[in-house]
Amino acid sequence: MTRWFEDIVIDEVFPLGSHDFTEEEIIRFGRLYDPQYFHVDPDAAKFSHFGGLVASGWHTVTVGHRHMVDALFAEEERLRALGKEPGVSGPSPGVNKMEFKVPVRPGDTVTYTLVVTSKRPSNSIPGWGLLFNTLEATNQRGELVYHAELVGFSKLRDYKMPLSVRLLMALTRLPLLGKLAARFQ
Amino acid sequence: MNPITQNRRHYEDLAVGEVIDIGHTTVSKEMIVSFAREFDPFPFHLDEAAAKASLLGGLASSGWQTAALSLRMLGDSFLNTIASMGGLGFSDLKWKKPVMVGDTIGGTATIAGLRRSRHHPERGIVTLDFDVRNQAGEPVMSMRLANLIELRDPSVPLIEGENP
Repeated sequence: MTRWFEDIVIDEVFPLGSHDFTEEEIIRFGRLYDPQYFHVDPDAAKFSHFGGLVASGWHTVTVGHRHMVDALFAEEERLRALGKEPGVSGPSPGVNKMEFKVPVRPGDTVTYTLVVTSKRPSNSIPGWGLLFNTLEATNQRGELVYHAELVGFSKLRDYKMPLSVRLLMALTRLPLLGKLAARFQ
Repeated sequence: MNPITQNRRHYEDLAVGEVIDIGHTTVSKEMIVSFAREFDPFPFHLDEAAAKASLLGGLASSGWQTAALSLRMLGDSFLNTIASMGGLGFSDLKWKKPVMVGDTIGGTATIAGLRRSRHHPERGIVTLDFDVRNQAGEPVMSMRLANLIELRDPSVPLIEGENP
């Protein structure tokens, strides 16, 4: 997935691996970021409609993100081993949709899968493209844990900076004209 | 009756338009690096030189860390004061500006909608517009959250037209 924007294939499925959620880590994440009683206190959680301790949705999502980052690094390694130069992934501008479906309980195994559903060059950042990804997490019973529609940046391999942009960048390095030129960047 | 939430505000006690001040929190380099090591180990969240060369322009928190810290502030200021039944998800999450080392983030959550669940009469759904800014007042993150909340009196019939 750390491929150049041009090399990303639409609808290709990337298995991101699985994670076993323990009671200890559910409570640790809950205490730090989402200390609602059903995320931090197994006894009190029995009174909730969950009937017991469940992971914060944000916990399962950040673990899913970690799996995606690890998959990007693994793809980079794979490409280097083939003698190819990997592409560059950038930060994400946002998430269009996130739906928490079935709660994650201690002992559950969650499996993450990513699909790139569409892509286009960025309008605001020259040389970069936007990837629209669907990330789905399922538990060991095959139930959907969450469905996410994510957006990410990926660098273009074949980007040639237009002459006007190069000229402006050169002008910004000049002491007097620089400030003026920077306004037009 | 749920003994944990019985004295908290329920669905009936909330009103659209209520603005919750979530407080603020300062993000240190140690916080950024330790979160990134666990959940988002991109070089631009771990290493200052790599961060300077990236689109972020300097060491900045993971967007998920900005979200998690904001969620914590929302928990302390709101979710743990209501009869919350957990989150349903969110939409239109936008990371508008990187949160850099030393930045202080905070903001508001505004109740944008309240409706009852059609299938579960004891549940309501509160939607919140989350607006998180840095110390300069610049927006760093926004999203719309949906959270379940208990009704105090589920026997009150759902009025047709109440739920848009």
